[in-house]
This record gives sequence, structure tokens and C-alpha cells, in this order.
Amino acid sequence: MKNLPLGIRKWRIFFTYLTLCIPLFTLLLSVAPQIQNLTVTGRITDNTGMPLAGVHVKSVYTKKGVVTDFDGAYQIGVSPVDSLVFTAIGYKSQTKAVNNQEIINVALIEDITELGTVMINAGYYNVSERERTGNISRITSKDIETQPVTNPLAAMQGQMSGVNITQTTGVPGAGYDIEIRGKNFINGTTNPLFIVDGIPYSGQSLESAYLSANINQGNVSPLNFINPQDIESIEVLKDADATAIYGSRGANGVVLITTKRGKIGKTKFDIGFNTSFGKVTRFRALMNTEQYLEVRKEAVINDNFESYYNNPSLDYFWPDLKIWDQTRYTDWQQVLLGKTSTRNNLQFAVSGGSEQTQFNISGSHLKETTVFPGDANYNKTTVYSALNHGSIDGKFNLNFTTSLSLEDNDLPYADFTLLANTLEPNAPSLFTDKGELNWENSTWKNPLAALDRQYNMKSNTILSSALVSYEVLENLEVKTSLGYSKYDLTSYATYPSSSLDPNLGYGAEYSTTSTNQSSRDSWIIEPQINWSQELGNLKLSVLLGATYQQQKEKQFVIRGSDFPNNNLILTLSAANNLLIVTDTNSEYNYAAYFGRFNLNFKSKYILNVTGRRDGSSRFGPGKQFGNFGALGGAWIFSEEGMLKNSSWLSFGKLRGSYGTTGSDNIGDYKYLGTYDITGNYYDDTLVIEPSGVYNPNFGWEVNKKLEVGLELGMFDNRLNVQLAHYQNRSSNQLIGIPLAATTGFSSLTGNFNATVENKGLEFDINSLNIKTSSFQWKSSLNLTIPKNRLVAFPDLESSTFANKYIVGEPLTMIRLYHAFGVDPSTGIYQFEDYNADGKITSTDDKQWIEDSAPDFYGGFSNAISYKNFTLDFLCQFKKQKGYNSLAIDALAGFKRNGPVELYQRWLEQGDNSLVQKATMGGMPALSIAGQSQSQSNAAFTDASFIRLRNVLLNYKLPTSVIKGVDLNLFLQGQNLVTITNYMGADPEQTSNSKLPPLRQITLGAQLNF
Amino acid sequence: MKTKNNINNAIVQLVFNCIKKRYWGICLMGLILFSCESILDIDPPKDTLITETVFEDVSTVESALANIYYNMREGGMVSGVNGIAVNLGAYSDELNYHGYNTGQLNFYNHNILASESILLDWWNQAYNLIYAANDIIYGLDHSDILTEEDQNFYKAQALFLRGYLHSLLSGVFGATPYIKTIDYVQNNRKERSPEAEVYEMAIEDLETSLELFENSSLSLGNIYPTKSASRALLARLYLYTGSWEMAVKTSSLLIDDFELESDLSKVFLKESVETIWQLKSGKIKNTYEGISFIINTIPTRGYALSSDLLNAFESNDLRAVNWIGSITSDDGLTTLYFANKYKETFTNSTTELEYSIIFRLSEQYLIRAEALAQLNNLEQANQDLNTIRNRAGLMSVDLNSKADLMEAIFKERRIELFTEHAQRWFDLKRFGKASDLLSDIKQGWRDTDVLLPIPESEIELNPNLKPQNPGY
Repeated sequence: MKNLPLGIRKWRIFFTYLTLCIPLFTLLLSVAPQIQNLTVTGRITDNTGMPLAGVHVKSVYTKKGVVTDFDGAYQIGVSPVDSLVFTAIGYKSQTKAVNNQEIINVALIEDITELGTVMINAGYYNVSERERTGNISRITSKDIETQPVTNPLAAMQGQMSGVNITQTTGVPGAGYDIEIRGKNFINGTTNPLFIVDGIPYSGQSLESAYLSANINQGNVSPLNFINPQDIESIEVLKDADATAIYGSRGANGVVLITTKRGKIGKTKFDIGFNTSFGKVTRFRALMNTEQYLEVRKEAVINDNFESYYNNPSLDYFWPDLKIWDQTRYTDWQQVLLGKTSTRNNLQFAVSGGSEQTQFNISGSHLKETTVFPGDANYNKTTVYSALNHGSIDGKFNLNFTTSLSLEDNDLPYADFTLLANTLEPNAPSLFTDKGELNWENSTWKNPLAALDRQYNMKSNTILSSALVSYEVLENLEVKTSLGYSKYDLTSYATYPSSSLDPNLGYGAEYSTTSTNQSSRDSWIIEPQINWSQELGNLKLSVLLGATYQQQKEKQFVIRGSDFPNNNLILTLSAANNLLIVTDTNSEYNYAAYFGRFNLNFKSKYILNVTGRRDGSSRFGPGKQFGNFGALGGAWIFSEEGMLKNSSWLSFGKLRGSYGTTGSDNIGDYKYLGTYDITGNYYDDTLVIEPSGVYNPNFGWEVNKKLEVGLELGMFDNRLNVQLAHYQNRSSNQLIGIPLAATTGFSSLTGNFNATVENKGLEFDINSLNIKTSSFQWKSSLNLTIPKNRLVAFPDLESSTFANKYIVGEPLTMIRLYHAFGVDPSTGIYQFEDYNADGKITSTDDKQWIEDSAPDFYGGFSNAISYKNFTLDFLCQFKKQKGYNSLAIDALAGFKRNGPVELYQRWLEQGDNSLVQKATMGGMPALSIAGQSQSQSNAAFTDASFIRLRNVLLNYKLPTSVIKGVDLNLFLQGQNLVTITNYMGADPEQTSNSKLPPLRQITLGAQLNF
Repeated sequence: MKTKNNINNAIVQLVFNCIKKRYWGICLMGLILFSCESILDIDPPKDTLITETVFEDVSTVESALANIYYNMREGGMVSGVNGIAVNLGAYSDELNYHGYNTGQLNFYNHNILASESILLDWWNQAYNLIYAANDIIYGLDHSDILTEEDQNFYKAQALFLRGYLHSLLSGVFGATPYIKTIDYVQNNRKERSPEAEVYEMAIEDLETSLELFENSSLSLGNIYPTKSASRALLARLYLYTGSWEMAVKTSSLLIDDFELESDLSKVFLKESVETIWQLKSGKIKNTYEGISFIINTIPTRGYALSSDLLNAFESNDLRAVNWIGSITSDDGLTTLYFANKYKETFTNSTTELEYSIIFRLSEQYLIRAEALAQLNNLEQANQDLNTIRNRAGLMSVDLNSKADLMEAIFKERRIELFTEHAQRWFDLKRFGKASDLLSDIKQGWRDTDVLLPIPESEIELNPNLKPQNPGY
């Protein structure tokens, strides 16, 4: 305590006193007499008379409660003048006065909209949907279970307003990009904070791009470890009110994942099985052999290469024109991406429990193949268990969950998509007549040789969490959550010489293997005190807590080369050369205090104050702490006299919040001036290289969030409308500032005094259109209209961002040339010369501004059930612009296939064509113009789409067929239909080298008994 | 202090009372809240060194310098892989490229764009290593622990490297920024200095370096820069900048100190006596130059010598025998000739025989010959030229006009120094003959091609680098 600055000391003292004062205060307030001289019993049923287990029965006066047993029965000791409150999820709560009755039976009415009783997980506390002051979106197991996906983020796509999720590639096991309410930080990531059962879980991949850049960009989602079927709910915290309690880590939003718990009742078995078949959504339209060769030959003439062309000793230079079969045609997309992938998923769960103890154990296994040639496949096994226990007096509660997940991913070394899109259409056949790989006298690289190169990734994840709570006094609860997670990833990528043309004479001495061994370990302890008190119409609750977290990461990448033979390629000890590529260890420690203060007057006026003081080891001395906080309020105006008995308005709430969150999302040790130890030597001297500039002055980023929201429930809450307007401003940006090479570094992490604003509108509409005893139709629509803007950027003009950003424009802006099309007289692309200097240069003439972020996006879903059939479907839509096929290639005539648009090239004077005249690189002016065309507004056009993301048809076998057994059979489709004007393959994945998302059809069965 | 004690006593009292009342949970909570921030103190990372500690020990300073030597060998302009020797060889009239690599083809076809990634690599690596050199200079200047002799010896190497890399940058890109500090704010906006000024600043660095070397008794052999390396580069830059007398004086010192290897087949072995500075090979036991230039199969994806260069050899030139290799296709129709100064590729030998030579003595003879010719000392100029010719088995010449002599030196340099660090390309520019000689053999030639473009992305990052070189 000696050396701490005064500020911290003050805080300690403040917290210590606060912590000790609360119980004393509580003692004063809880001295009211507790008379219990009546035992009330009863039975709770639903409106059809079926007994309801697990209903909470609570005394209004003493706050003590019990839970109903299997037969819906309860027994509670109360005072004769007390009242009892009956609550159960999915039902409307009821309050009954005791009035000396000894038997109180209640039939609860199903709450079709669940508004009042649904409790939302807000992280450190729960809040009812009705009384929440913050903006929290939510999907539950009902929405997730019906989607056969491997990653929880996939299940969220299109379901929530303000949440934009895109799959990075269609290769199994790869990552997702997630953006909650836009990009807040220049150069920073948009990754939110993921919390699984109370434990922060890093969504950062541990794979090294050194191994898997070509197949999944080094991006393996750690969130794969959760089996989506084990998830009870996913909540996304968006505004300041909801996220400020996460302080520094809440700037990009918080995603809370809660797993399923066992429920009181008889032991339940769930068995599920499903199989999917997948295909690439859309292929590109490419040139055929005739078109391709025609364009190529023209290029030879245009470039004046005829004399070379007619010289037979140079034939090797254009094998496609001079050596290969001129009539042969192969649809390489069909050959390399045309397979049907399969996915088999088997799942088993047992759950149940008594009033005191409930359990849930599940296991699953998944196997998924790819659309690539070869037998690549992805396997995942998960085991999950949850145990809840409460003491008989209800004071002690324990929640314990553990999940274990094993992934084994065998993939090709490289994604075949680029080859499929660029291989010459008359390239030779893959195999010789003898069935061996055909190298056509070394005139091409056989793509299937790449199958000899392997990539394998294995990961083990264990995540354990415990929540222990004890009710010290009846309104004072002490709890601690504890968590541990470990993520181990090992992978290898081989590059054997046998995958190269044997005629080139490369032996195993050229073979290489790289391996990656990485792990992340983290533990967390969060002690908390929860205190609540009612003072007449005023309900007060206070939460105080602290967090201690430590995370250690290791990554060890090593490359072996020069093997005695290719059979030993997986044995690094056999390699003659070993190179250590990466050997890093890092540590991240984090400490914080947090609190919440909630005032609720008459369940009408609610005030919520949250705050956090964060300390992070990522900052230099004196800069480690930051304070964050938020104020939120809600007014449930439908409770006001005038509206209380409105015939159409059943619920109305106005809420708002303002506060700050921050970010330390910069990587460890960035403030130190350092030298990295490389594994290289010069003359037996170890090589060390400068890796960081000393910069102790950087500190927390600040993100200010403002939100107002309106929530309406109409017609008995059958129609719910939520509107939210948000405005987030991020400043003191912590970014990797790009530096010119003359500084010796490509970037430097530091605070930048720029302000970025994200504002937008979010609409969520849920409606129960029709409900009869046999027919039900629900619809929901979410829509987000985001707007991102760089508000201020001092000295932008003289900074390294001068050519990247403009004040007033979004961060996602891109600068393009303004294309004037092809000059009909010269056949060359023309561009606007903005500064009229007669030259087209990137610094001066890329003045056409476009925005790569969507204008709006959302989802529209419907759930229709008729008797035993249900039909669900979800359409996702996005209005956006994206790079089209001209961005991939605007040059016709090179030795590579390209989009069929290239065939529409300029031929002779007067032609008004899309593409300039053919060239194969002999004319610099044409090459330069072609490259500029790829970076012009002509290459960036509409990529909006409406996609039928998910369709599900489910049939539930009547219970009477097999007694006591529920059997559901379903047929499900993903990405079945896409409506788009996009010029290219898939509007969601505009890259030429990455596999787009797949279209999948799934058949499955679910058995419960 | 007193208040603090009182507070502490009060807390102890309260804690004690709490335990008595079995509110243990609250106490535990309070204690945990209380123990707090020391968790934020973390150990320094295991895999990195804090900059100050690097300059507290000679071995880590050597490691920091090793970074520069290692990277020069493995990539960038000086390297035998994709460096100036290969690409500017194909860009000028030395090499024909037979492969498909787009970047390398662009050099060969004179189809260079400002976005060319090879150029960006050269630029980035050179400035990266210049920063490394500057950081070493700064660290040594601020080190209280190293001896003065050590400080001077390592600083001499760093200054030499700074001068060398800048001189190459200027040769390729023309006017370039000259970086002397580690201040990133300043360096981030650095403007270009005209070519002549770059050479002047490089000469200044090298003169300082030479002085430091001369005052030091330490030496690590010719796989590190020495006073001779500083002199060799100084002589070259004096020549480039027209300081003929200084060029004669400096090269003479080297000619006195070293001797020519009489057997041409031994000139490129690592023990060669005429080597002034070379880079020791690493995991690959011999040189990247050997791998890049030697052709093992037909068809090849490598570089063959141009017929233009082959025809420039006089008959009976022993260098054609010793330094040129050939391969004929199985059908006997095609024969390709390749640079074979280095004999080893990394497959045919597992022992170290050759290192990458950067400066060798015969260039000094040619430098002196040229400087003497400029000073109209034709007799001695002829003599120096003949030293090189005679070693190659050629007859002496006796040219008595300055113009003829200059032409002969220009030609001799082409033959003696072919495929060595783009000497030919720099000569073509220096003698003002690039347009004359290349416009006929390079279809894509434009007169503005004498300068390569500043990488476009760098101009975007630092607008002070504007204007771009003409033609891009």
C-alpha cells in the first residue's frame, strides 16, 4: 500500500467503508417482526389444469419463497395478512392475498408475449424485460436450436438489430466478423467482449497466419467450442446503461452466452440427429475456352509480341496458346468447388433434478466435409455439464458448469477458390491415362498436387465456471463467481516436395512442415454483494463487486525443412533445418471494481446507475486505471392513469441512457521499447530486431454512448414495437497509427485525438398475428440504419491517414478513381483527372468516395404452426455496395481466366465497351489503366441482397403415437435463395480467393422422453 | 500516518466484529477488494528485450547488428534473392527472365508501376535496417556501460551500414530521404534529398565511420564491415560524385592493402584474397546468388545471360570460361548461358564454400582507372585497366584519348562486374547511356525509366515524398 498513488488509496478506503457499512444499514432496516403462524398449501396448474412444477411462490411480506414440486404442490409458512406472489417463466405472475386461507390453488395464465416475466441476463445482474433501462437484444434456445450451425455467432446472423455478422469464409471451423453498432475505432477491431456463463472468453484466434493464411486466414474461431445446442440464451448488450458495468471492455458491446441448466422434474432425455448437404451458393460466370483464347491472342497482337509468338523456342512462355489443346474446356469451379459437402451431427442430453439439485449433461459429435476435392473434414466433440444446487433454506446456491470441446480439423493447405476462378479454361487434364497426376511436360501446376499438402488443426477447450451465493440476510446476498478456461490449439501444415512437379527434380530436402502450439489460460474471480430493500413504493438495489483476472498466452510456431524423405514429414526431429518462427509468451492482468445502483419507484420510474473502475497491465505506469460509468432511466408510461386502462396500449416505456465505456484492446506490452529475439543467426550471433518504440503515455480509449428508446406493447402485448436511437462517440483513440517506412516501423500504437461517431436507428417489431388453438403465426422484423462518421481529426492532412480518411465521411469510406469508361477511340480506360495535371495518380485522383458499410440491414422472420407442423423462415437483407468482378480483374488478355465480362473488351475504333483492349502486360499504359479500373467506382457497385437465410419445416409426431415420447422431424435449409443484382459470385463474400458461405439442406430428427 | 493507523485499527476492529457475527462472506469480500492493484504488475515479456538493456552488453549489440547483416542477405536490395542484382540485371541488358513471376516479369518487360511490391519491399527493408542502424548509434551514444573502444567499433559499423543503404536507395530511386535519427515524428514526414545530397551525407557518414574504424584495434574479419569496406564504398561514392582525387587516393590504399586473386575460379570463394566485404552464408550453406543465377533444367524459370552481354565478351576472355555456365536442352536445340561466378546451389553442396561478396578489389582498380582518366592521367589509367584485362588473359591496351579510355573502362566494368549488385545498371545511368542502349532491346523502354518509382503506398503515407518520379 506504500507506493500507491493517493487516488488509489482513496478508492480503497472508500470501497472498504462502503463494503462494511452496507450490512450495518441493512440490519437497521430489517428489524420488522416476522410472524409466521399460518401454513398455506396449494396446487398450481396451467389454464388447462396440468400441474406446473418449478413455480416460485413468495411471500410479499417476508420475501421468503418456495418452489412447487412435480405435482405443482407447495407449502409455505406466512402471516395471515400476507400476500403470495406466484411467478413462472412463460406465465403471467399473480398475487393473492392470504386472508387467513389455508389452501390457495392458482391457475396461471400463459403469457403469450412473456414481456413481464422474462428475465434478461444483464451480466452481473438480471433484469426483467419490462423494467430494463438498457438496450439488450436477445435470442433464446428456441431460435438457436432450430439452426444446424457449428458456431453460436452463425445462429445470431440476421436475428438482432444493431448486430452485423459476416462469415469470413465457407471453410468449416473458420471465423466470423462481428460488429455491434458499427466501427468505433480507427484501425481497431470490432470484437465485442464475449462472456460465457460469467467468464470472459477471448474471441481472438490463436492460429498463426504463417500456417493457415491460405485456407482460413489464420482465423479459427475460439467460439466454436460451444455447442450451440447447449445454449439457453444469447444476450447482446449495446448501450451505455448495459455495457458501462463492463467498463473498458464494453466499448464494442458485450455478448453474454448462457448455457442450459437442468430443470426440476422427471429425468428428460433428448436425442437429436441431423445431416446436411451443402453446395456453393453461386458460381462466377467466367470465360470459356473459345472466348479466353480469342482474348489472349488479341493481347499478343496488341502488345506487338507477334515476333516472339512465332518463335517456337519461346513456346513455353504461352503454353495456353501454343502447347495445350485449343479446344479443351474444363469448368474449374465445378471441378475444384463443386462437391457436395456433408455435415452429420449427433447429440444427446440428459437433464432433470429435484427441488434442491438439478443437472444437465450433454454430449455431441459433428463431422463436416468440404466442397473441395479430397477428403478434408472437420470433427468436433463437445461434452457439457451443469449442476445447480440450493440449500433447503434457499440461502445457499451453487451453479457449476463445465464444458469440454475437442476439434479436429483436416483441411487442404490452401483454399481452391482462387484457382477455380483463375485457371485457364483449356488447362490440361488433371490425370494422365495411367491415373497419375498430369504435369503436361511441366507447363502447368496441377492443382490437385496441392492435396498432398495438408493442414490440420486440433483444439481442446475447457471452460469451467462456478457461481456461489449466500443470502447473509434476507435482502443481502454475497456471491462470488469463479472461472477458469483453457484453450489449446495445435496445428500443422505440410508442404512436401511430392506436391510439386516431379520433373523439376525437387526432393524431400525441399519439403517443409510448420507447426503451431498455442494456448491461452485464464482465470477470474469476481466477488460481489447484492443488496436490495423496499421502502414503501421505492425499491432500491445495490450491487458492488470486484474483478481479478489473469490471462496468459503462449504461441510457438516452428518450421522444419529438408527432410530425409516425405514419409517423415510430420516428424520435426527428422528435419535438417528447424526455424523457430514465433515463440511468444504474454501476460495480461486486469483488476476492477464495479457497482450498480438501481432505484425503482412504483415499477413506473426506474433509475439505473452503473460504474466501473478498471486497471489494466497493458498500460504504462500511472496510466493503468480508468473510470467508466453510465446513467440510465426508464418511464413506464402505460402505468400512468390515463393510459392504464387503454384498450390498445398494454405497455409503453420510454428509456434513455448516457455513459462511457472504454477499451484497452491493443495487445500486451505495447508501451515498452523492445527488441524481439528472432530464431535467426548471422555468423552464430543471434539476431535481435527492434520491435517497439517506448511510449509510456498512452491510456484508455473513451467511448461515450447516448441512447433513447421507446418500447410499446399493443393489443394485449400481441404487437411489440421497439425503437432505439443511439449515438456513440469514441475519442482518444488507441490505434496502430500507420507510419511511413522511413520511421523503421509500419505502425505505432498510441492515442490519437480523433473522434468517431456511430449513430443509428434500430427497429424491432414482434407480432403474434394469429393465435387459435391449432394455428399460430408470429412475425418479427428487425432493421438497423447505421451511420458512421469521422467527426474530428486534428492534423488529418499532415498525418499518415491523409489519404485514407476525410472528416465528415465514415471510417469505412474508400477512395476510388472516377471511371469514365473505355475511350472509344483508343480502347483504354479513362478516369477523371481531378487535379488536372494530365496524370492519373493515386494520391491526387482517387477522389471518388464510397462507403463499404451497409446503408441498412436486418432480418424478417416468421414462425407459423398448424397443429403438429411448424414452418419458420428467416430472411436476411442488407443494402450495401461491394467490390465486383472488375475489382478482381479488369485486364483482359493475361494468362489467367477471369469474369466473362472481360470478353466484352474494346475491339476497334468506335466501340463502346465495358473492358479496355486486351493486353498481356506488354503495354505499361494498359496495365496501369487496368489496375486503376479495378480501384475505380466502376469496380464498386451494388452488392445488396435479400437472402433466405434459414427455413425450417418441423413435424411433431403426436404424443399419442408413442406414449411419453416427443418426436420431431425436420427439414431445414440455409441460404437457399439469394436475390441480388451483384456482379460477381456471392454478395456476402466478394473475395476472389475465399470460399463463400454454402447453401445447405438439413434433415433431422429430435427425440425427447 | 496517524490517521492511516487509526483507519487501519478501525478496519481491523470491524473485521474482527464481523467474524464474530459470522458475516465471514462480507469480510472476505472486503479483504479481496482491499488486496487489489498489485495484480497489475507484470513481468516483462520473456521473448523480448527492453531496449536499454540491449546496449549494456557487447553481445546484444552484436545481435542488433547481426539483424542488419542477416536481413541484407535474406531479402531486399542487397540480397541474391529478388534483389537489385537479379531484377535490375533483367531491367538493364544483362539478363533474360524465363519465369512467370509477375513482379520479376515487370522488371524484365519495363512494366513497372508505382505499386510494384518488389520496390516496396526494397524500400521498406532498407529504411527498416536504417532505423536499426540509427537505434544502435543512439543506444551506443547513450550507453554508460560499454567502453569507448567498443562504442566506437560498433558505431563505425552502424554508420557504414547507414551510408551504404542510403547510397543504394538513391541509386534506385533518385532523390530519397536521408534518415539520421530515431525520432518517428520527424521521420514520418521526412522529405526527399536530391541524389547529390544523399551521396554527400553518405560520404560524411562513411568518413566518420572510417575514422572510428581507424582508431579501433578491434576486427571481426571480412564478413563484417571494416575500415577497408568503408574505404571501398567511399572510393565508389567519390567516383560517383566526381571527387576524382579522393577516389584515386582511397582506392590506392585498398590496392596497397589487398591483392587480386590470380586464379579467376577462386575469386568468388569465401577465402578469396581480393574480397573486401562479404556476407557469410546461413542455413543455406552457400549463396542465394548461386541459386538465382544457375540454371539446372530447360525449360527454366530463372535468368539466362542476354546475348547482348555474351557478345560483349572478347574472344579468349578467361572470365567467359570461368564465370559463365551453360546448359543445353535434351533435344540439343536450346542452349542457355548463365552467370556462374558462384558455383554452388544449395542442393549440390552441404559445405560452405562461397559467401555473398559485396566489395572486391577489382572494382577498386576500375574506380582508380576511371578517376585517373578523368584527371587525364591516361598512362596510369591504362595500367590499372590492363591489370584487370591481363588477369582475364586479355591483351593490354594503350588508349591515348580520354574518350576511348572511358569507353574501354565502361565496357570492362560491364564484363568484370556483370550480375554484381546492379553495377551495370548504375553504370548505364552514370554514363548517360541507358536510353541509347536499352531503347532498342526493351520494348517498354521510356526515357523516364532511369528512375524507379517511389512506392505509391509510401507517398500516400507521407505526402512530403511528392512529387513522384516522372513517368509514374
